[in-house]
Amino acid sequence: MKTLRDIGLLFQRYTMQMLRNPVWLFVGFSSPVLYLALFTPMLKHIAPSLGVRGGGVLEIFLPGILCLLAFASGSGMGFNTIFELQAGVVERFRVTPASRFAILIGPILSGLMMMVVFDAVVVAIAVGVGFQMHWLGLAALAVLLGLLAALTAAFSTATALVTKDISSFAAIINGINLPILLLAGVLLPISFGPLWMRVVAHFNPLYYAVQASRFLAAGSFGAPAVWQGFVVLASLCALVVFWATRVFRKAVA
Amino acid sequence: MEAIISTTDLRKQFPSRRGPVEAVRGVSIEVGQGEIFGFLGPNGAGKTTTLRMLTTLLPIDSGRALVAGLDVARKPKQVRQRIGYVSQLGGADELATGRENLILQGRLYGGDRVSVTSRAKLLMEILDLNEFADRRVKTYSGGQRRRLDVALGIVHEPEVLFLDEPSTGLDPQNRANLWEHVRSLRSRGTTIFLTTHYLEEADTLCDRIMIMDHGRIVAEGTPRDLKRQVSGDSVLLSLHDEDGALARARLLISAQPYVRELTTDGDQLRLYIEDGSAALPGLLRLLDAEGITLKSISLSEPTLDDVFLHQTGHSLRDAGAGTTETAA
Repeated sequence: MKTLRDIGLLFQRYTMQMLRNPVWLFVGFSSPVLYLALFTPMLKHIAPSLGVRGGGVLEIFLPGILCLLAFASGSGMGFNTIFELQAGVVERFRVTPASRFAILIGPILSGLMMMVVFDAVVVAIAVGVGFQMHWLGLAALAVLLGLLAALTAAFSTATALVTKDISSFAAIINGINLPILLLAGVLLPISFGPLWMRVVAHFNPLYYAVQASRFLAAGSFGAPAVWQGFVVLASLCALVVFWATRVFRKAVA
Repeated sequence: MEAIISTTDLRKQFPSRRGPVEAVRGVSIEVGQGEIFGFLGPNGAGKTTTLRMLTTLLPIDSGRALVAGLDVARKPKQVRQRIGYVSQLGGADELATGRENLILQGRLYGGDRVSVTSRAKLLMEILDLNEFADRRVKTYSGGQRRRLDVALGIVHEPEVLFLDEPSTGLDPQNRANLWEHVRSLRSRGTTIFLTTHYLEEADTLCDRIMIMDHGRIVAEGTPRDLKRQVSGDSVLLSLHDEDGALARARLLISAQPYVRELTTDGDQLRLYIEDGSAALPGLLRLLDAEGITLKSISLSEPTLDDVFLHQTGHSLRDAGAGTTETAA
């Protein structure tokens, strides 16, 4: 099908661009590794208050970092969109008969592929320092993280197309990201927080991803948080991708 | 001549803080097949906006646009397949080579790998890019980049090629080189629609132009006809004022039907003639027969800037310099 072919072409293009610009690879790898190296050691000392054994902090912390990574890699996508908009690349593609959905999703899928590679490295490192692997759980987690990254990437891309310049885009994305991250329990479970935080968190999609990810990493599929996470992320993802495709179709100036 | 682009009363508004801005106010165009058609006007005149509507990039507010026989608003996909568009920015991938750029572009237009690869090779020959084909675009000079941009626009052999300010940022030599390439494209049967704010580009490259200002078409025709409409050519005669020669010359010249206007300035006479180069020999014979001797004579043709000035009341140069508005 034409759309699939276009997706393939634009996926290839984006992947090649990233590989030829190693700065991105370095940034992609370094941030999760830095979290592991510079944040985890501190957790060891508060492990008892988390109610887990010394090595078990990773079970809580690692899924959080993976969610953070997915969220950050997705929401950074718009910076590239702004650059391509200003370089005329977006126009060049929009004037071809290529599917608008493909123009949006090709780069997003490429970003997802790279994220999975980074994730694998991070998990491998974590296993080295005592993280318990659950293959099936991790596979399901990869799907969940893919939905999360696709959702944020589509949102970020569309926001970039609407705002068109780097300063207003950065202001919006940073303004949204910080509260979302803090209210999701990415680093520490939100259950540590007061009641009002726990209530507000329920309006935060990232919260559902983080909750589900902790169960999945531990290999427990039965928890309600798991299906809730998938339902929330899948439906939001579909909605945002639909909107972003429309923005590509109509993009002005 | 069969029209390949035709629009009727095309309009576009943009919202702004001070209320809606009418960027394009009722533009009707007919472009014939195989023409090099130019849109001349200052920045912010609405040229790019019109172009973006014709190339499916911008929704049309009202009016109708047919490109290659297809309604742009109703069949954008089919229109895209038949047109090429080179924006002011170009938009080639800097990290990819020229060849890679062309192959991807060709494939996005639906070509298969084999035919696209040979097409890319041909285009790089035509546009003198062979030497740089496998270098990353980042290393290209301005002229090379512009030629690659053009190649990207014609990779799928479009019927119409839209060029938005194609020679902006090019030095005179590269500009002339680009014009050569544009002419040779036309000779291969491609219709070219370009926007420009360079008088010289409109004058020497285009078969026919429209002058646009504040969202409206203010004049249309071949550069030659347009210039002739203004005031004709201006002729400056300077003569030896002996035995009332000046007065006699004035009398003689003003009696000629083809002289539109005559002014005196010291021992110089300035006259405006419909077609200077045709009328001049007869005029000289006339003066000679009367025994009036000339010190010097000069003929200057009006420029498109004179046309612009005549139609809009302001000079194209002033209009361009004064506006900070970007072409939306």
